Amino acid sequence: MMTKPVILCIDDHREILVALKNALAFFRGYTAIYTCESAEEAETVLNDIDQKGYYLAIVISDHVLPGKSGVDFLSDIHRDFRFNRTKKLLLTGLATHRETIDAINRADINGYIEKPWSNDELIQRIRVLLTDYVFDAGLDYNDFMPVLDRDTLYAVLRCRP
Amino acid sequence: MNSNKKLFFAIIVPITVWLIPSQVIPIPDLTVIEHRLIAIFIFAALFWVLEPIPVYATSIMVIVLLLVTISDKSFILFQLAADAENYGIPIPYGEIMATFASPVIMLFLGGFFLAMAATKYRLDTNLADVLLRPFGSGPKYVLFGIMCITAVFSMFMSNTATTAMMLALLAPVVALFKEGDKGKTAFGLAVPFAANIGGIGTIIGTPPNAIGIQYLPEEYVIGFGQWMAFAVPFVIVMLLFLWILLLRLYPIETQRIDPRVGGRFPGSRKAVIVYVTFTGTILLWLTDFIHGMNAYVVAMIPVGVFSATSVINHHDLRNIKWDVLWLVAGGLALGMALENTGLAQNVIDAIPFGLFSPLLIVAFASLLAIVMSNFISNTATANLLLPLMVALGTGLPALYDAGGLRYILLTVTFACSLGMAMPISTPPNAIAHGSGYFETADMMKTGVIVGGVGLFLAYSYIYTLTVVFDIL
Repeated sequence: MMTKPVILCIDDHREILVALKNALAFFRGYTAIYTCESAEEAETVLNDIDQKGYYLAIVISDHVLPGKSGVDFLSDIHRDFRFNRTKKLLLTGLATHRETIDAINRADINGYIEKPWSNDELIQRIRVLLTDYVFDAGLDYNDFMPVLDRDTLYAVLRCRP
Repeated sequence: MNSNKKLFFAIIVPITVWLIPSQVIPIPDLTVIEHRLIAIFIFAALFWVLEPIPVYATSIMVIVLLLVTISDKSFILFQLAADAENYGIPIPYGEIMATFASPVIMLFLGGFFLAMAATKYRLDTNLADVLLRPFGSGPKYVLFGIMCITAVFSMFMSNTATTAMMLALLAPVVALFKEGDKGKTAFGLAVPFAANIGGIGTIIGTPPNAIGIQYLPEEYVIGFGQWMAFAVPFVIVMLLFLWILLLRLYPIETQRIDPRVGGRFPGSRKAVIVYVTFTGTILLWLTDFIHGMNAYVVAMIPVGVFSATSVINHHDLRNIKWDVLWLVAGGLALGMALENTGLAQNVIDAIPFGLFSPLLIVAFASLLAIVMSNFISNTATANLLLPLMVALGTGLPALYDAGGLRYILLTVTFACSLGMAMPISTPPNAIAHGSGYFETADMMKTGVIVGGVGLFLAYSYIYTLTVVFDIL
């Protein structure tokens, strides 16, 4: 079958990663969820994903991390042409005004989720981003129908005569 | 079967067929080229049915295989037997490649340009809003209005894009329905079914139609207007039937609905160019008997106008569904090879079709088409069946003399669009099913009824037009 697109979650707190994984159980069977505890660890995983030819659909990163910050990590991804279609979410409760501006301007993030988050809102956001990603990456949308966002799907299909 | 097994199976069977001695195949005087073509046909059939790779990719592979194995510039090892008496007639390589620029492809390109321009300047949603207004706010009539608009749009835009647009329009309306209101199912099924049915209405409505008329011999050429004149009444009857059926099966409880989608019509110069070109192209299509330009030539006019005026720019050009064009081209190449090598004729000769009544043959062929189109792509069904139908129609004197060539071709063409009993049957079915407004069982029940009635109607209606009155 299809190779499952990857959702990569980065947070230095294990319990947050567990909570994220549980929330993302909605996408089970359609995406693979990877978790990392630091940006440096995530970079190794990124190389691995690229080397195996997997699709990196979405990165969800905390801002405050040991070592490289979440915003710095996301802006690295933004500049990395291997992942130019990857959608980026910043998940944090502790970003300053300046850092938030940086996240938008330098990392071109697709969304900002505040901790503590609501699972419904998180899932909805990821459905929209995943739908966009599926079309951007040229995957067959039929394989992902149950987890796609309907409005986004209709809007994209309408523009493809 | 998982995808690797499918792939293995779909590769190993045609190779086996290719390797067995020609004498084993029960077709007299089989040439080397015909033998290879049988293997390629089986390859195409298995790949289109099992879909181990996307359908358009199979089409491209068909073209490549034809070029490498049976063209006049085939690989040197395939030409070793070229001097032998039973080698057969190789196909000029240019002719195989030219299928990608065949009139049908240009017709679709024209259709794509019109649809893209209409979407870009919101002509589709704005028009839908205007057209929906006369149907008021009574749910029954709104349902019929939605069906009519979906059908009309799918005659000129792709069935998929039309379905997406109409479902987006319906989403806020249906969201207000009470829990358990069967009206949801009625609306959810009305849109994809009306799109599937509406596609039959014009030769650009859906690829099988265009492929079908491509195979008509010259003395029976059907113009754009002529096709509409006989296909639109069929569409109208089918829509009325579907409407009544849906209201019976899924009565709507909500008393009043009010779908509003449109905004203001854009008034920029480019938007006006779109309005004028859109109307002009359709008028030119309908009046082909006056001005001498056929549908294919007319289709190039919007391509030229929209390119020259940057209504469709180089960015939009990349969004054209090239996969659909390749899918059609591969089918045409396969059909051309079947005819030019004489294989189609030999196969028909080898099977004693003469023993059966022509009507029975048409009934069986169209039944096969509707069953196949339920499971695989409608265009792939047309690609596989229509070339065989031409051979059948020309090769059987009993059928041909009764005007049966057009009868069998057009009935099977219609049948290719009538398979809609499952979510996988057509892309409109798939995206409507994804909306969650109905269960798969509802789609099956309604789809089988609509398909069955449609098939019977097509069978008798086209019989009346071609065989009884000979007016088509």
